[in-house]
Amino acid sequence: MTSILRLFRRGELHSLAAPYALDALEPREHGRFEKHLKRCDGCAAEVRALREDAVRLAWSTAAPAPAAMRERVLLAVRTTPQEPARAERAPSRARRPPFSPFLVPLASTTAAAALVVAALFGMQASRTQDRLEEERAQAREIAHVLAAPDARAGTGRDTDGQGIGVVASVSRRTAVVTSSGLAAPQGERVHQLWLMRPEGRPRSLGLLDGDTPLIATELDPDASSLAVTVEPQGGSPQPTTAPVVQLALESLGFGE
Amino acid sequence: MEADELLVRVAGGDQKAFEELYALVSGPVFGLVRRVVRDPAQSEEVAQEVLLELWRSAARYDPGRGSALAWVLTLAHRRAVDRVRSARAAGERELRMARRANGPAFDHVAEEVEAGLEREWVRRCLDRLTTLQRQSVTLAYYDGYTYREVAERLSLPLGTVKTRMRDGLTRLRDCLGGVA
Ligand SMILES: [Zn+2]
Repeated sequence: MTSILRLFRRGELHSLAAPYALDALEPREHGRFEKHLKRCDGCAAEVRALREDAVRLAWSTAAPAPAAMRERVLLAVRTTPQEPARAERAPSRARRPPFSPFLVPLASTTAAAALVVAALFGMQASRTQDRLEEERAQAREIAHVLAAPDARAGTGRDTDGQGIGVVASVSRRTAVVTSSGLAAPQGERVHQLWLMRPEGRPRSLGLLDGDTPLIATELDPDASSLAVTVEPQGGSPQPTTAPVVQLALESLGFGE
Repeated sequence: MEADELLVRVAGGDQKAFEELYALVSGPVFGLVRRVVRDPAQSEEVAQEVLLELWRSAARYDPGRGSALAWVLTLAHRRAVDRVRSARAAGERELRMARRANGPAFDHVAEEVEAGLEREWVRRCLDRLTTLQRQSVTLAYYDGYTYREVAERLSLPLGTVKTRMRDGLTRLRDCLGGVA
């Protein structure tokens, strides 16, 4: 290419700062301009300023995010590993984030499940095969519930504002329950989770153990609430104390 | 705490900092995504992916290259635009566009639920742009069209659209004042 032509093409590239700041370039141009940005201080400064202008356009569209989204995102954050710090990387234009528990189709959950497992349990070499299988199955369940189209989230809080976070799907009759700052009970006692039903006695869903999510399956669609009680070590067949936290399931789509 | 500082803490794995960051940016992220994507269910999906991506890739934020809010909202805008472009490519989009075809592109500012001060301000400033500046900026930013598509829709040469976009944004900056 002659130098005049090269100059011309560079000149043309300089003019792409505004469409770039508005994300209005086609993929090939976008790539070319990003390369150019690394070499052209003028364009880099212009893009930086135009981006801040675009932020004002963005800010003016702010609207309250659905409450259920918060619980879903926070739950996902607890189970999603972070990328290690890497120098010199702008947000990439990857077609899709590498891993999203919200959208994992069931058939492809194995890789995702392995990641979740790694995050949840800090994957140690000393784990037995059985335990690993169990954890993997659990991670699959979590991804499954998060991906359900009718998945909804809610929280139950005690008088101190501590409690449980729940993501549940009626269609899959499954809920993922995590402790949300619930302090471990005093002495040799445990937190036990119950499913309360209008007809019939409370059904134990298991013991809540620190930050480990509890997956409750085969939930009755007519269940009315979840409750946490303090029980002796190992749990009880039926609740022996009054609930410290209760969460009505109606808001999550149960109780038909 | 400022978004910049929160993002740095989030990059270090601080979940409490993420909750604070969430409180700060979830509204703008959700609002922006919904504005571009339109479809409520898809908007929610894209917005939560973006918010989770903040957690995952917080380490990529480089304070030397702009504010944390610009980084967050740029990410949100890209994901929203990617979604709307693939939907458009699939043809669904045209149907929806046809349904709300009565009225200029700028009209849906009025659709938004909250009429905040900032919104009013931006709206007023957008009104002060020339029609072509405003349409070039909003068709790209709020509707996710590329500048080539904008040129086509407005029957303008490419060069003119690029200039209108830059002038539009610069004029907006003057009108809004430097501080957010
Ligand atoms: Zn340049």
